[in-house]
Amino acid sequence: MSQLLNEIQWGEPILQPITDLAWEAEVKRRAGRVGEIDRRVAPNKWLREACVALSCYRPSHISQRLFNIGSLVTAQENSCRYCYGANRAFMKILGYSESFISRIERDAHVAELDDKERAFIAFCRNLARSRPRPAREERDKLIRLGYSDLTVNEIAFVIACGCFYNRIGVLTACPPELGFERVANGFIGRLLGLVGPLVRAATTTRARPTPVLDVETLRNGAFGEVVVTLSGLPAATVMKVALDGAFAPTVLSRASKALMFAVVARALVCRHSEAAARKMLAQENFDASEVEAALATLDSARLPSSESRLLPWARATVHYQSFAIQEQTRALTAEIGDSAALEAIGIAALANAMVRLAMLLE
Amino acid sequence: MTTWNVVTLVVLTTLVAGVLILLRRARQLERVLAASNQKLEQLQRQFESFVPGDVVERLTDERGTYMAHRRQATMLFADLRGFTELCDRLDPTVTITILNGYFQRMSKAIVAHNGHLTELVGDGLLALFGAHEPNPWQGRDSVIAALAMRAALESYNTQLRSQNLPELKFGIGIHSGEVVCGVMGAGELSKFSVTGDAINVASRVEGLTRKHGVDVLITEEIRGALDSRFRLRPMPLAYVKGKVDAIQTYYVEGGG
Repeated sequence: MSQLLNEIQWGEPILQPITDLAWEAEVKRRAGRVGEIDRRVAPNKWLREACVALSCYRPSHISQRLFNIGSLVTAQENSCRYCYGANRAFMKILGYSESFISRIERDAHVAELDDKERAFIAFCRNLARSRPRPAREERDKLIRLGYSDLTVNEIAFVIACGCFYNRIGVLTACPPELGFERVANGFIGRLLGLVGPLVRAATTTRARPTPVLDVETLRNGAFGEVVVTLSGLPAATVMKVALDGAFAPTVLSRASKALMFAVVARALVCRHSEAAARKMLAQENFDASEVEAALATLDSARLPSSESRLLPWARATVHYQSFAIQEQTRALTAEIGDSAALEAIGIAALANAMVRLAMLLE
Repeated sequence: MTTWNVVTLVVLTTLVAGVLILLRRARQLERVLAASNQKLEQLQRQFESFVPGDVVERLTDERGTYMAHRRQATMLFADLRGFTELCDRLDPTVTITILNGYFQRMSKAIVAHNGHLTELVGDGLLALFGAHEPNPWQGRDSVIAALAMRAALESYNTQLRSQNLPELKFGIGIHSGEVVCGVMGAGELSKFSVTGDAINVASRVEGLTRKHGVDVLITEEIRGALDSRFRLRPMPLAYVKGKVDAIQTYYVEGGG
């Protein structure tokens, strides 16, 4: 059974908040407020941009209601105390009752939902959990229930997005937004809940529309084969920018990053993602046997010694107990330093999102 | 007051009373539903200490079945040496306390390395790696788990020594192969488990630890999944029950 909010064991923060006033002003302009996560990812440019872009994403093909429910159950499945608490509080402010939220998180079967919504929740849980990752037939089931192809693709993106953001929260052990949770669960929250539709409208209009890119542009870039499954959706642009940013020269070597993606792909048995990662490694002059050896042993002599621990750790980020993975991440951070650890957290989170999204290629 | 007004008043009063009764019933039903849900949830959580959570979820979902499947899995058998004789000497309460302390530590080491403790029989245990979901690193995980079990036993023995209690020794056998996984047993007693030739081999390899006088033995199949960071020592070929050819095993000295 998935853990409830008060059952999640949560460690002390691994990374300290960094104040970057110019960036905070930008986040405030785009997202409305600066969260604890924004301050922790601030030192890494591609990661902080990806976090804001993904958290500001407003779906074009699925309703706000499904988006909110999907984000809640994904955070619950990923045992992210930060995101789960924030999503729950946000739903209260949007006017969802405590009993409705409680039924969704305990057992969707008894919540006031129709068959389509129940199937949606089951899909969210299965894809977030990925034990194993949902197969083609689960996607087809959603289509038989009346969701369009594009809608299902956007659903998969929203869940992948959640998996990314939840991992940033878990792996940094980001402290929950307790102030916001208190307000949402108190008198002001109830008052705002009464005008829920107005709050929903206000939060929906804040985000700037994301441009939709053409197929050729999407295909050219890191993991273009996966990104292209989102063509026709603004989500494709968000994913492409995040992946291209992650694979631009930064703190960690490109080979380490590609190997981390390959490890996550192998853990989730995704041949498409593994093939794409291998292609990238070939560009880094890794031959097939070197990649195979690295994947089999979770180590590679070709990686800088400071990055040798990244592969077993990346594998551990696929399925985890929050507190245990936080302890592992703390040890990794002590060894490789804050800057490299922050980037590793971003890469592992993005790899988990991308490989889950790649189920659309099955 | 006219007759019409009286009738209207009676009808309205009856309606209001009816609505109030219905509302009360609805509230009662909601309370009953919430209590039943809580009870079911509690049952499910308790059930999860006997059967893997994923299996419980599949058994309690709409379909209520767990499809048996064939899968590559790694089996780790561990057995305490000479514990039966210890049982005869020790007070039963002390015996159970020592045994529970041992199982707690072993279970922690297994779970921390992606294994699942499936069976406890007497002082023996069976852990599975890769039986519930594909795990490409199951061989490596099982050996790292065995090394963690060795370290945990060492630390437990220090504690037992300080309490003037007898120390424990174990033998671990690890092997991998294709098995059938599913919920097995009769209605009254069913459990998630695996069956197949590979599980027999793993059990026999555990038996060989006595013969070779070592604590952790693995087969050739597991050795293939390990890299040079693991220190292995080949053992003499040995025949085991049910196998025509002698099998090669390796003692795991350390590493990982």
